[in-house]
Amino acid sequence: MYNISSSPHLRVKLDTRSVMLNVILGLLPVTAAAVFFFRVPAVYIILNCIITAILTEWLVLKMRGVNPLSNTSYGSLKDLSAVVTGLLLALILPPAVKWYAATLGTVFAIAVVKHIFGGLGCNIFNPALMGRLFLMIAYPKMLTTFYEPFSVDVVSKATPLALYKFSSQFVSLKSLFLGNISGSIGETSALCILIGGIYLLLRKIADWRIPLTMFGVVLAVTIIMGTINPLSGSLFFHLLSGGLLLGMFFMATDPATSPVTKLGRYVFGAGCGLIIIIIRYWGGYPEGVMFSILFMNALTPLINRYTKPKRFGER
Amino acid sequence: MIKLNEHKEPQHSVTSQRYLTPNKVTVFMSQHLGSPAELIVKPGDEILRGQIIAKTTGFVSANVHSPVTGKVLKVEYAKHPILKHAEAVIIGPDYTKPRVNFKPKDTIKFSKEEILNIIKESGIVGMGGATFPTHVKLMPKSPVDTLIINGSECEPYLATDCRVMLEYTNEILKGVEILAKLLDVKTVIFGIAENKPRAIKLFEETIENGKYDFPLVKIAELNAGYPQGGEKQLINIVTKRKVPPRGLPMDVGCVVHNVGTCLAVYDAVYKGKPFIERLVTFCGDALKEPKNVWVTIGTNLKELFDSNILEFKTAPKKIICGGPMMGIALDSLDYPIIKGSGGFVFLSHDEAEVPETPCLSCSRCVDVCPMNLLPNEFVRAVKAGEYELLEDMNLIDCMECGCCVYSCPAKIPVVHYVRMGKQFLRNHAVKEKK
Ligand code: SF4
Ligand code: SF4
Repeated sequence: MYNISSSPHLRVKLDTRSVMLNVILGLLPVTAAAVFFFRVPAVYIILNCIITAILTEWLVLKMRGVNPLSNTSYGSLKDLSAVVTGLLLALILPPAVKWYAATLGTVFAIAVVKHIFGGLGCNIFNPALMGRLFLMIAYPKMLTTFYEPFSVDVVSKATPLALYKFSSQFVSLKSLFLGNISGSIGETSALCILIGGIYLLLRKIADWRIPLTMFGVVLAVTIIMGTINPLSGSLFFHLLSGGLLLGMFFMATDPATSPVTKLGRYVFGAGCGLIIIIIRYWGGYPEGVMFSILFMNALTPLINRYTKPKRFGER
Repeated sequence: MIKLNEHKEPQHSVTSQRYLTPNKVTVFMSQHLGSPAELIVKPGDEILRGQIIAKTTGFVSANVHSPVTGKVLKVEYAKHPILKHAEAVIIGPDYTKPRVNFKPKDTIKFSKEEILNIIKESGIVGMGGATFPTHVKLMPKSPVDTLIINGSECEPYLATDCRVMLEYTNEILKGVEILAKLLDVKTVIFGIAENKPRAIKLFEETIENGKYDFPLVKIAELNAGYPQGGEKQLINIVTKRKVPPRGLPMDVGCVVHNVGTCLAVYDAVYKGKPFIERLVTFCGDALKEPKNVWVTIGTNLKELFDSNILEFKTAPKKIICGGPMMGIALDSLDYPIIKGSGGFVFLSHDEAEVPETPCLSCSRCVDVCPMNLLPNEFVRAVKAGEYELLEDMNLIDCMECGCCVYSCPAKIPVVHYVRMGKQFLRNHAVKEKK
């Protein structure tokens, strides 16, 4: 007797676990930068979030009555998706975040945002971003307190975008590019994010359409705003500061929460870019990446519906 | 479209051999698309090689001939590689009788109708896998201006199209000449995959040097990937025309024939030989060496091993009738070769033996679907039992090419779900009628 499964009989090597592993690899440069600039606190935050994510995933899968280490229809610990969520959330937290807040945010991300909506691949919102949003509401002060890299005592310092927004100061582009600025631990080094992001695009783990349109829209509007109001800051300042790069490579491309159609991904990316701009220029927060992606997450089912490709041969 | 590891070597370079003296043949009444042929012999009858043993029924159907001279032993339901069980004639060959040699015909004087009739009588069906009766495609209901000859063979492993193109170039071109005349087309386009450079060169040279009565002729080198040999895809690649959903090639003025079919047409028209033998590729890592063998229709696969034409290197885990993308996995070797059997792949390792995990909504399936469908939604709807949605999702347009399954990181057997969904729609349609 031979195997008789239905066709096709060939499969790509890539599986869910290797997709997640590649995302983790893509995040390594950023993680390294976080540890380099923020030292021990960063290590604590990262370990805290990853371990909490793994434990929460394990517990939730147990509670759903499945073996967390086997393949289940809600996901598995082995697929590493919990590690990705934990790591991503850690990277968008400020260095001064308290351990219990990081833990709570992670539990919320995995248990509520991911599993209440069905588990792996079924969630509507990006769990890491929702985790952060949750913490911003629960601990508004803690989540908006940043400090300079390498500092031993926590002397709070505004992020570059906040400095610009509230006091019209600019930090040097070199610092922005390398990461020697205050901000969430994984957002500071544009260089490291670019390396990881480009790795993801080259390995075809993330689709290029979302980052491209997202970046394109921010770029275009910034150029326009720059000509209208020369004081609005240099181009690179807007592109390199804040979570734009991290968000567009690692959060907006999250498969479960972005559209499946090609056209839909252009729309999604452009929408994210537009909302970022609106919040940055006309909103109450200095930074809009998190809101923009979450907003577009919510629209994803709708975008999928209205951008359904025409089937082959249809006029 | 996707790029697959083609595994075409060494089969592409293995010269064909013959095994035309089977111990027993099992010939099915149904080995083509359409209605089964109707049996006209009974057990005990002495029959000759090439004699019609079952006649066409209905418009889409094909004659079936005895591939050997001998005696009808039994009529019974036998194991069919595609239909599972089907009516078949078991024939015991008698090699002591003189071999029937087919007489070449003087076709110059023949009218179009007569030639078309020869093709119809010969039981020729599409050799590319779909086994659509060839004569039906030669009587298009709307005007056709382009004849496309399919030499893409985009399924990995298979090599028969390549071998016939290399070994029977002139015969194929003569066959194409006949088809072009019958269809009265303005253009003939040969679509040959770039992985067969020798065939492309040979065709270019032979067309250049030979005296063929072709209209405008063109050779298109195909490099789009799998499934570029699918009828609709091929038409789109070489003519830019798009066959509408649920439409036929003739709706956009095209007819597609496989190179192997053209050879069969040549054999029928010039040599008077009906469709009773075909070239089959046997390959895969479980075989000692891959082979391209001319076999008699109805030969049992197992007999090829018993007679040492084929030998295993390792025990196979999976035996695929057809190519690995659209072929059917067989549960044993005990299957007869039918008109549509282009190849058998023997694999020592089954890549499909992976557990299904949750869909990531990663869109890889959507990106590769040549029909622009949303395979992930099919899976969701079938699993949730939301069958009424399937029609709106155009499930019917899925050609089951398998690109989506191949590319899926969650290893979801989408095609399996598609078949479940289609089955439901069929049952539902039957109920509606009642
Ligand atoms: S390729 Fe697989 S995992 Fe990705 S969307 Fe399609 S079915 Fe889901
Ligand atoms: S949905 Fe059907 S046509 Fe589309 S890739 Fe999958 S099998 Fe092929």
